Amino acid sequence: MVEMDWSIIPEYFDAFMRGLTLTVEIAVISIILGFIGGILIGMLRISKNPFVSGLSSIYVEAFRGTPLLIQIFLVYLGLPQLGIEVESALVAGLIALSANSAAYQAEIFRGGVQSIPKGQMEAARSLGMTHNQSMANVVIPQALRNALPAYTNEFITMIKDSSLVMTIGVLELTLTGKLISAETAQPFVVLIFVAILYFILTFSTSRVLRYVEKRFAIPGMMGSE
Amino acid sequence: MATPIIECIDLHKSFADHEVLKGINLKILTNEVVVIIGPSGSGKSTLLRCMNLLNEPTAGKVLFEGYDTSAKDIDINAVRSRMNMVFQNFNLFMHLTALENITLALQKVKKVPKKEAIVLATEALNRVGLTDKENAFPGQLSGGQQQRVAIARCVAMQPDAILFDEPTSALDPELIGEVLDVIKHLAETTGMTMVVVTHEMGFAREVADRVVVMDDGLIIEEGPPNEIFVNPKNERTRIFLRRVLKEIDDMDPLKPKYEGVTLEPEAPSVTFGEPQMMKDENPPSDQGPSGTLGRWFGFRGGRKKK
Repeated sequence: MVEMDWSIIPEYFDAFMRGLTLTVEIAVISIILGFIGGILIGMLRISKNPFVSGLSSIYVEAFRGTPLLIQIFLVYLGLPQLGIEVESALVAGLIALSANSAAYQAEIFRGGVQSIPKGQMEAARSLGMTHNQSMANVVIPQALRNALPAYTNEFITMIKDSSLVMTIGVLELTLTGKLISAETAQPFVVLIFVAILYFILTFSTSRVLRYVEKRFAIPGMMGSE
Repeated sequence: MATPIIECIDLHKSFADHEVLKGINLKILTNEVVVIIGPSGSGKSTLLRCMNLLNEPTAGKVLFEGYDTSAKDIDINAVRSRMNMVFQNFNLFMHLTALENITLALQKVKKVPKKEAIVLATEALNRVGLTDKENAFPGQLSGGQQQRVAIARCVAMQPDAILFDEPTSALDPELIGEVLDVIKHLAETTGMTMVVVTHEMGFAREVADRVVVMDDGLIIEEGPPNEIFVNPKNERTRIFLRRVLKEIDDMDPLKPKYEGVTLEPEAPSVTFGEPQMMKDENPPSDQGPSGTLGRWFGFRGGRKKK
């Protein structure tokens, strides 16, 4: 048994922090792009036009039904073969993660919208509001509230799944940890520390979103105080 | 004769292969209060929902102030903003306060500036007796209060007509009165055109200028309330009214309950000392959602919030 050497953590602290920063950046960007994409695709998914809803349904099934790792490789290695140059491994990773998350978030959004009783839309329309006004002012604000727990899940998953881009050489937290552990021969110490850093990220995300949930809970409805 | 504000011409509506409306011809005149009654499933609500095109008629048409509402060049949103609807389940916007429920459409549809919208909304809440509930959310209000906010939401839009789709059917019995009073007051003070689908016969009789009786997708009789309730011409109207009025009579708390049942000749005869007698000792009020059973299952005090 090799002795644990915890001193490597302060020694490599800057490198860990650089990896952590990149992980946060990757997660935040792909969560935001996935959120916007998810709303767009989710809106198409509930469209009455069968062609439009069919297309978005194919998108969702394709990204949900294949491994994220394959999607990352396809964007990084596959697209250039089709003549589409991807600027860097980081960009390729961001594209794959965002596109994948958009598929999941589209389903979360759709579930949220469909959880709102039909009467809400009818009441808005019966007052003369257009379909879009009714969606924007009545249905979506309630749908997002209902969907918050599912969004929390997805955001946390994204933070963890961002580690997959290490496979195409993006020097984020996991790859940083792997390199340091190889260099120092202290895999346990390094990986435990990496795991703790991920946990801090995911746990604070879940706390923040729990606060948002409470903050926007509708008084008099389930989930409010 | 006054001009009709809403006119249904040979209106048909089918859901899949089930025909709900089988050719309705109905004129609603300006300032008239028309109450539509009839058995469940006779198409009353569907007719109302066809009037503002929440349901699209399968055939026939609806004219609003003379304009065909299904015509391509008609802005249905503009029509709806002048012909609002009050729903059976209130359908208040759950994430908005009572006041915001009212100001939303004023701002979005009628483009009223926010300050003015708040003034109009406050006035409307006053009219339905909910001055102090401005900042309450629907989930914090009783069913009756929610429905009054829904009515205020329509009133504030200053529409030409309001359609009431069974406005008291989802309410606990003790809350029905407050809502009917508001509607009655509105009818008396504003002269607003109203079409009311209801099962409240007393209300119909008191408030209606004209009562329309529907059965099986058709209008079978219409006329002033006194004519319909006192001397209905159609046999089916008579059967319907007899049944409904008997139910109301049965609800009279002073009337001994279930005496008819125990006197039935086929009721099992009670033999001496049989524990079977216990069966009848449960007072009938223990049944149903508002009785003891209901209390155990938490039905008391308004319906459960989702």
